[in-house]
Amino acid sequence: MWKEHYRIGSELIDSQHQELFGRVASFIRAVQGEESWEERLDEVQSTLEFMKDYVVIHFRDEEALQKEIGYPWLEKHAAIHNAFREEIREFAQRVEREGFDEEKVQEFAAKVMTWLIMHVGKEDQRIGEYIREQGGQQ
Amino acid sequence: MKAEYINPFYKATIDVFRIMLNLDVQRGQLRVVEELGPVSEANVVIGVTGDLRGSLLYSFPKSMALEMVAIMAGMPMTKLDAFVCSALGEVANIISGNAMTHLSGTDLACQISPPQVFVGTEGTLSMATEQAIVVPLITNIGTLELSVSLTSANGR
Repeated sequence: MWKEHYRIGSELIDSQHQELFGRVASFIRAVQGEESWEERLDEVQSTLEFMKDYVVIHFRDEEALQKEIGYPWLEKHAAIHNAFREEIREFAQRVEREGFDEEKVQEFAAKVMTWLIMHVGKEDQRIGEYIREQGGQQ
Repeated sequence: MKAEYINPFYKATIDVFRIMLNLDVQRGQLRVVEELGPVSEANVVIGVTGDLRGSLLYSFPKSMALEMVAIMAGMPMTKLDAFVCSALGEVANIISGNAMTHLSGTDLACQISPPQVFVGTEGTLSMATEQAIVVPLITNIGTLELSVSLTSANGR
């Protein structure tokens, strides 16, 4: 899923993005696997657990970078992060309450996948452009 | 239904397909239909409210739908299951959202409803009473037919 052209020029953020794409890919593999749902559930649960924490760390680090370089669209970007973090949190709460229904998890995995591609492929690329305009990361 | 409402959707599709799928999009011949109905197997309906009101119908051939999601996921897809359908719904949602942003540049403020996905080519969408313009959006993995049925809320 990860593409080299997603790089924005910050080593930390680029490696976190790679990690996120890798985790989402394994989440999709688990969600779309051929084995029974019960057999795939462990992987689904642990990936969801990991991502819930990892997006918090990643968004924090990415927002810190934006602040450090004086990125002008920081607030708008943080609002997008907040909305997505909230969606993941709500879904985690929902499955805790109602259980891991296969179709609901498939729908959620698709949302996470499209969100990540569009966000890193568009919104985050603006940070990359800004870094390049400023002559590389300070 | 004005033809000028179509351009924002064309622009948004070009942009979203390039970013998400690395695909070029060509516009085919527009046609007017009396009823909004599915052309291909995988369909996404999105309602529009605000200064413009109506419905959008994204109709994807099955092979195109599977290939689009395979490109995004980086693994083959074999059936129109909840994962594939949800991903298509999200793509249509993103295109529509971006088109609404383009429309707001022309002073039209609209909101969209969450995408509804259905599989099959049967029937028409009863909510639509107005004509629709169908835009074929041609890519090298297939043609998405986007039907746009929008009318101005204040009679413009």
